[in-house]
Amino acid sequence: MKWRKLGRIFDPAQHGLPGGCIGFAQAPQALVFSDFVRIYFSTRTLDGSSGKYLSHVVFADMSKDLGRVLRVAEKPVIALGDLGCFDEHGIFPMNVVRHDEAIYGYTCGWSRRVSVSVETAIGLAISRDEGLTFERIGAGPVLGASLHEPCLVGDAFVRIVDGVFHMWYIFGTGWKRSTPETPPDRVYKIGHAVSGDGVRWRKEEGRQIVPDRLGPDECQALPSVISIDGCSHMLFCYREAFDFRTNAARAYRIGHARSADGTTWTRDDDALRLEGSPGEWDSDMQCYPHVFQCEGRVYLLYNGNAFGRFGFGAAILER
Amino acid sequence: MFRWRKLGKVFTPQEVKGRPWLNEFAQAPATLVFDDFVRVYFSCRPPADANGQYVSHSAYVDLDRADLFNIRAVADRPILALGDTGAFDEFGTYPVSVIRHAGRVHAYYAGWTRCESVPFNTAIGYAISDDGGTTFTKAGAGPVLGYSPDEPFVLSGPKIRRFQGRFYLWYIAGRKWKIVDGRPEPVYKIRMASSADGVEWERLGRDVIASRIEEDEAQASPDVFYAHGKYHMLFCYRRSAGFRSRENGYRIGYASSHDLTEWVRDDTKAGIDVSDAGWDAQMLSYPHVFELDGRMYLAYLGDQVGRFGFGLAIADGTIG
Repeated sequence: MKWRKLGRIFDPAQHGLPGGCIGFAQAPQALVFSDFVRIYFSTRTLDGSSGKYLSHVVFADMSKDLGRVLRVAEKPVIALGDLGCFDEHGIFPMNVVRHDEAIYGYTCGWSRRVSVSVETAIGLAISRDEGLTFERIGAGPVLGASLHEPCLVGDAFVRIVDGVFHMWYIFGTGWKRSTPETPPDRVYKIGHAVSGDGVRWRKEEGRQIVPDRLGPDECQALPSVISIDGCSHMLFCYREAFDFRTNAARAYRIGHARSADGTTWTRDDDALRLEGSPGEWDSDMQCYPHVFQCEGRVYLLYNGNAFGRFGFGAAILER
Repeated sequence: MFRWRKLGKVFTPQEVKGRPWLNEFAQAPATLVFDDFVRVYFSCRPPADANGQYVSHSAYVDLDRADLFNIRAVADRPILALGDTGAFDEFGTYPVSVIRHAGRVHAYYAGWTRCESVPFNTAIGYAISDDGGTTFTKAGAGPVLGYSPDEPFVLSGPKIRRFQGRFYLWYIAGRKWKIVDGRPEPVYKIRMASSADGVEWERLGRDVIASRIEEDEAQASPDVFYAHGKYHMLFCYRRSAGFRSRENGYRIGYASSHDLTEWVRDDTKAGIDVSDAGWDAQMLSYPHVFELDGRMYLAYLGDQVGRFGFGLAIADGTIG
């Protein structure tokens, strides 16, 4: 897979973000319309004086060659959850898929904990106005922690194949400390679930579907799957479990796996070769990939340094 | 109609020595009958930490089958370990419900975690004992019954039963967090699920007991038993505000069913109320009914939701 980088296509500093958002355009997710591409992403507000953030889902509509920003949403497409709910403190990311004349939005809801920073789960919200607003189907999640996926279920990517909903997502295996004095960090892996209706899901319950490259503490996030010439390709990001925020050598990179049958995945990061550009917005980190097709071409959206604080960029697959 | 004749408080955690983790509280009694004793599982707490916060452990006391007021043994250690950092049961395992099946003892319990915006959240875990109910091993690090679109938080109070070859779980699910006197208090309702194997659960997906005293009535401890041709449920309920008082605190309610899913509530048939004085004069909660040697017994909590232990009552007259 040879990718030609198109550079940063959305810089939040260059556009008015809605509702007092102060930056970040994380985890871009595309929905193709007839004459534009709607790209959902998560941006942030400051939560009072706590120094913590709240993540909100908004969108930018772009020209189909991803060259121009046509419009930015005037408000988040979904409100945060109520007091005590799984998505009270943020929705990041949200994956969208068309189904039955509606758009299903699979949210990753965040709620803060005391002994660890956060817990997440996957919710479902549905749009019947072409993706401008989404209504959650319930106050709770459709996919959360279970016996062998004990925490941090999130980062859904859903596609409907032959009438079956497939979800690739991540689940936490636990929290670890690099030293007894440091706050706990999380480790998570990519899993898979299926559903007949997109609401009731059956997990593979703890099966890690993509092998580790960095060892058992490798963190794998935000899978995105596309079929090219009869082969399934998964792009995701991965990093070390500790010291990954500012140490470029341990930060997120884009990983790749391929599968002929959609079940067994062979890891092949070297086939991807998406390098950061020195001195640029993606020099130290590449994360949160999203692949999609538009006008016969395959595009990759991704975030760069600081987990997307400075926006997202794109690359195009050259066959 | 039936009446429960109170026998008195049978277990007082403050009287147990040498177990710092069993300092006070003996909540949510659940029984397992052995040849010559009745094991009563309960949940207890060590002293609060510097921030005034508790963890909950679960343990048991063995009561002499011939004289239930004769305590034969108390667990030497909790039956379940608390979960690891970040786990759903890191800060408590309370309450617990047990059942014998296929040569093992199966336990369902609520695991407690601490949250930032609300004080806690709970989900239901599953553990198995291969030594007759003395120690339990968790089936996994996560919950067996977690949150769903219409059961968004505070899944707790599991009661495991087996009827007609199928497992049934009655439990509670949070409906909302209500700000009462400036702090969030959970409103929860009784729910039900069933399972062929005890691991994969099919939820009924609706409240099974109608609210009576107010829309935000909290309901807990749905304890179901079969007698005289129908199913009976004792549970407890309270108001959403001021519930630490005698007026608004927990009372025991009653419902009956012919098919396990449709329940008719009639609290006048609960057959027990607070005493004029004594250990259960303020509130009654966490009912658990068990049959022993041809008699029906009720274990329950009194004031301060079991801080000072649990008591027993015995059924006079016929059930239902």
